[in-house]
Amino acid sequence: MAITPNEAAAALSEIENTTRRGMTLRGYRVAGPILMVWGLIWAVGYVAMGVLPVERWGPVWFILDFVGATVTIIMTGRGYARRATAVKAAVPAGLPWKLALGMVGTAAFVLGVVAIFPQGETAAYLALPGLVTGMIYMSIGLWSGLRYALIGLAVFAATLVGFFVFRSDLAFWMAGVGGGALFLSGLWLRKA
Amino acid sequence: MAAQSEDLIHQPLRLKIMAALYAERDVDPLDFPRLKAITQATDGNLGSHLTTLEKAGYVALAKDFVGKRPRTRVALTGEGRKAFRRHVEYLREVVEGVGDDAP
Repeated sequence: MAITPNEAAAALSEIENTTRRGMTLRGYRVAGPILMVWGLIWAVGYVAMGVLPVERWGPVWFILDFVGATVTIIMTGRGYARRATAVKAAVPAGLPWKLALGMVGTAAFVLGVVAIFPQGETAAYLALPGLVTGMIYMSIGLWSGLRYALIGLAVFAATLVGFFVFRSDLAFWMAGVGGGALFLSGLWLRKA
Repeated sequence: MAAQSEDLIHQPLRLKIMAALYAERDVDPLDFPRLKAITQATDGNLGSHLTTLEKAGYVALAKDFVGKRPRTRVALTGEGRKAFRRHVEYLREVVEGVGDDAP
């Protein structure tokens, strides 16, 4: 069977698209359990904010974020290492450090914004992480897969709804809806 | 390895199946739903083309149970890998016009 250059180019393009789709779905499967962990951390953290005095929020989140970051780095490393060993390829250079720096950078950004916020407006403090998280996932989604963008949009929208409609119970709203959305999103990704 | 057109593989869905399996060649076999998601095929279409590829010796199907649910997993055979590489090499040569100037 003779194949024209155009047909051959189209076939190579299709192979590339299929390979990329497979990589995206594999990425979802690695990210799913990590998102479920963050859903739980999110829920615990916001419930703590709902029941503890303001001065205890910082230490609680410091511990929870440390646990979440450690679990994220370990699970991501395992996800890559398993495949890298199988195909005799290298784990992406400096991946754990990049992840850690990304999380530290995000935390620094949130803390920086909080530092210049008007003091005493607790609802704004409660909503900020939800908006930032939603924006991060929407940005990731533009490059790495539509599902991340949809998850980011859901978290962003849920945060705004909580801020404007359920402000008096915002901590518990964020725990249930935000944490629940992240956990369910993780399940959705894991099944990809 | 000589580049060579593989007519059996060149069919669009079979090409996607082979590409998806080649990308996972050294990891775990792909189960049917994941292969279906990657290739964006329907159940019937995917099953029919997998049968064709299996008869050609390019893929191996393994059926087992996870709990009470049946599971079909698919992997490339050694012959399938070679055939896919030959075909991709052939496609690249066609695109680059290799051999056009040969006497």
